[in-house]
Amino acid sequence: MMDLLPIASLLMLVSAGLAIMLLDVFSKGRAELAFVATTALLAAAVMSAVGLFSPAPADVPTFITDYLSVDKYGLFFDVVIALGAALATLLAGGYLREHGMERGEYYVLILFSALGAMVLARAVDLLTLFVGLETLSLGVYSLVAYRRTSARATEAALKYFLLGSFASAIFLFGAALVYGATGHTGFASIGESISDGHADIALSVMGLAMLVAGLGFKVSAVPFHMWTPDAYEGAPTPTTAFMSVVVKTAAFAVFVRLLLMGFGDRLSTSDSGWPTLVSGLAAITMVYGNLAAVGQSSVKRMLAYSSIAHAGYLLLGLAAAAKVPTEAASGILFYLAAYTVSNALVLGALIWSGSQGKEATSFADLAGLGRRHPAVGLAYVVGILSLMGFPPTAGFFGKWYVLSAAVQADMVGLTIVAVLSSAVGAFYYLKVLVFLYMKSPEEGAPVAVPMRSSYVVFALVLASYFVMKMGLTPARYLDAAVAAASGLAG
Amino acid sequence: MNEQLLTTLLFLPLLGALTIAFLPRQWVQAIRNISLGFMAVEFLLSLRLLDGDFSSGAYQFEVNVPWVEAVGIHYHLGVDGISLWLVLLTTALTPVALFASWTSVSTKVKEYAVAFLMLQMGMLGAFFALDVFLFYIFWELMLVPMYLIVGVWGGPNRVYAALKFFLFTMVGSLLMLVAILYVVATYKELAGHYSFDLAELTRVALPRTAQCWLFAAFALAFAIKVPMFPFHTWLPDAHVQAPTGGSVILAAVMLKLGTYGFLRFAMPLFPLGSQFLGPTIAAFGVIGIIYGAWAAWVQKDVKKLVAYSSVSHMGFIVLGIFAMTRHGISGALLQMLNHGVSTGALFILVGFLYERRHTRDFEDFGGIAKVMPVYTLLFVIVTMSSVGLPGTNGFVGEFMIMSGAFLARGEVGLGEYWFVMTLFSATGVIFAAVYMLHAVLKIFFGPITKDVNTKLVDLTGREKLTLAPLVVLIFWIGLYPAAFLSRMDPTVEAFQDDFRSRYRAQLSLTDATLMPAAGASAANDLAPARDPHAAHAPEGVAP
Repeated sequence: MMDLLPIASLLMLVSAGLAIMLLDVFSKGRAELAFVATTALLAAAVMSAVGLFSPAPADVPTFITDYLSVDKYGLFFDVVIALGAALATLLAGGYLREHGMERGEYYVLILFSALGAMVLARAVDLLTLFVGLETLSLGVYSLVAYRRTSARATEAALKYFLLGSFASAIFLFGAALVYGATGHTGFASIGESISDGHADIALSVMGLAMLVAGLGFKVSAVPFHMWTPDAYEGAPTPTTAFMSVVVKTAAFAVFVRLLLMGFGDRLSTSDSGWPTLVSGLAAITMVYGNLAAVGQSSVKRMLAYSSIAHAGYLLLGLAAAAKVPTEAASGILFYLAAYTVSNALVLGALIWSGSQGKEATSFADLAGLGRRHPAVGLAYVVGILSLMGFPPTAGFFGKWYVLSAAVQADMVGLTIVAVLSSAVGAFYYLKVLVFLYMKSPEEGAPVAVPMRSSYVVFALVLASYFVMKMGLTPARYLDAAVAAASGLAG
Repeated sequence: MNEQLLTTLLFLPLLGALTIAFLPRQWVQAIRNISLGFMAVEFLLSLRLLDGDFSSGAYQFEVNVPWVEAVGIHYHLGVDGISLWLVLLTTALTPVALFASWTSVSTKVKEYAVAFLMLQMGMLGAFFALDVFLFYIFWELMLVPMYLIVGVWGGPNRVYAALKFFLFTMVGSLLMLVAILYVVATYKELAGHYSFDLAELTRVALPRTAQCWLFAAFALAFAIKVPMFPFHTWLPDAHVQAPTGGSVILAAVMLKLGTYGFLRFAMPLFPLGSQFLGPTIAAFGVIGIIYGAWAAWVQKDVKKLVAYSSVSHMGFIVLGIFAMTRHGISGALLQMLNHGVSTGALFILVGFLYERRHTRDFEDFGGIAKVMPVYTLLFVIVTMSSVGLPGTNGFVGEFMIMSGAFLARGEVGLGEYWFVMTLFSATGVIFAAVYMLHAVLKIFFGPITKDVNTKLVDLTGREKLTLAPLVVLIFWIGLYPAAFLSRMDPTVEAFQDDFRSRYRAQLSLTDATLMPAAGASAANDLAPARDPHAAHAPEGVAP
């Protein structure tokens, strides 16, 4: 039994998910399921955080480590994923009830998807990777389609599902090619096989390209981003929060691990191999995401494009990881943690701004809100400044570390592209503040009234705490990220 | 107490902002008094900075504690002769600016006071910071309150102006960020560990081409802030739309951060780059002097005129800095103060007039000297200071800068362009007299053309009180500049020696090198063949 201790946080989520199913049936829908789910997730986060700061466990049986790693890298992502999912369940606790959609399966789906995300982040084998990816994705497809009666949501979910299945198929094909080329599915073995020359390089490269395309879909890198705006907009807002933070985090976690462990040596020289491919993706993703976000009138769509742009900055870090693995990977880790809390904060504020009958989704809905409801306004300001990468918030340090890694990897040109496109980003982020503080609602337009929910307030307090904490005293978090990343690279 | 002085000065405004944030918004008068109280205490405390020993170039009241040890970020603050007066200018003018908009800002007074206090903290932090990272944080931090001050309390076109201000500054500072990261990455490569400490980073000697690019990135950020021609276009918009208090702070303090940035960061970090590009930047400064003056001449809006006159005056400061002579730099530093005082006063005066008439168009005035004699007197005094009449502060500053530029023919400085630049900058003084006196003539003298103007009331007690310290400073600096210069000069001298020795040492380098610590002796340490005692021999006598 003690053998399973290193993956206790995963088991925690499984049992919590099962328990909530039963609880939902037997309590006839009266139980505070959001509370139970959040408690389970926060417990998992705390458990993993303790693991992160304590010495590594000895003698983990190979039936686990061959498929799931038990390193600090995995633990770090356990914490981020569990925290992101906990924020999503908290937001759901307020949102679903306010809009008359409270049903138990939502929390169960979030817990199981989070489990898939954790498996993904710990995967060291293409098979585990695929299992994790599908566990995560199937849950999220349903979460997007959760508002059954809405044509918008159904369309979004169908689009997401079809494109997602397609991406999974491409990924699987790529995995098959890599297996064919190297004879292995474990990342480390693939890496060895390629570096000692046993593998068929042409086939490996083809397989790698397909793996990158499949994962590129999950992190919504341009040109695999088509689903993102529709899915983000059509989904219930807590799902949007979950998608943008947990799915992206888990996909990047495995992306970094796969490329560094599996294709680290001969396929990562600076002028050929995946760094070039990823740099190209990074450049178009940053530029396109930021430019497309400018013209949006819906805040949710704007955040969808902004999440594409953030994927671009992260890809920049990933490309840098070929040269400076520890710096870049720890930068990515910190960035993902920062993005998780910041984006959840902004989407949480968006949820808070609406109430039954009138959800706030467009910029116009926010007009003058900051003046009428200062607390809501403050949540937006903190979150938006962090997404913009403004000091002294978490997002600033995240951007700083990633850019610093990129400069150390001699990618100055791409870094300049990144900062200039993020200046474009400042324009649409500031638009939120403009509407909050500098505009008044149109005559006769329905005015969004903030909801009352202690769940939402708690989520916002939690998220703001981390946004500010990681911005003012980033040392501890950075140390954790470096510890997690150095295990990976070394 | 002295060890904590800078920290206290830095965080007192934050404490004030927090205090006010928890007051009920209806207590308008209490909010005003308390915020002013905090600023008054801040100013009185900042006077203790004068007790520091400014007879050498060393930093005073230094604080240095690690913040994010893993990447070498330190909470490192200090004040020297370059920043001392700018700090005092900040602490002195913030309350004046707030006091000036006492009545004109009547909505959201609480938020206004909080924004001002946060702004003050950001500006002070940027002046105190000796860690590049810390500087960048404060540099960015002060953008937000200013953005809100313009965007929330500004004129009809405020959203556009605020956004333009924000985005211009942000683009510049982001490129500076990349440059900082590049220097730090090089430092890491050479020294094996991270550091963002200015003194440590100045040890990195890069080849000329790299220095030029990096200096250009820094220069862009600072040139936008100054603002130098052709990056000045945000300034007239921001000034015209901003409320009086915002304009005052913007002109008096925030613009100085650009010129300060050149002196504190860009030039020490990249001596070769700044010597190579310096004359070009000075040339843009001179273009700015003349362009700003001509543009000011044709304005119909008084506030726009003052805004363009800022572009012109800031050009002088840039010229003085890149002259790289003792007079030039000291003059530039003094002129930073002068511009803060006189332009601040002009914006306040224009604001008072606007409050009475709700227009700033020249056409709407004329002959108001008859109804507002005290106002007219003060306006004329400030105008004289702005055009640089002997006896006022403007004269001392501009004279020093021009004499400094005239002497800038050494190995560092303006090179062969010293004469052209000095000549053209001198014409700027004439143009300044033209547009300012033209404005005075149109507003104050001649017959009263509009009936409403006959009922204008002269300055109230509060308004006179607001302007009094500025008028005192105009004459104080004008008649006895030594009080100010004596605390600048040693630092300026040390700065110059340091710059020159670093410049010489780096001139022959082809690869990035880490110079030995303690800047001044770097030149000698680099030449091991030389007798160590020769370092003390006078220049030219050494073998």
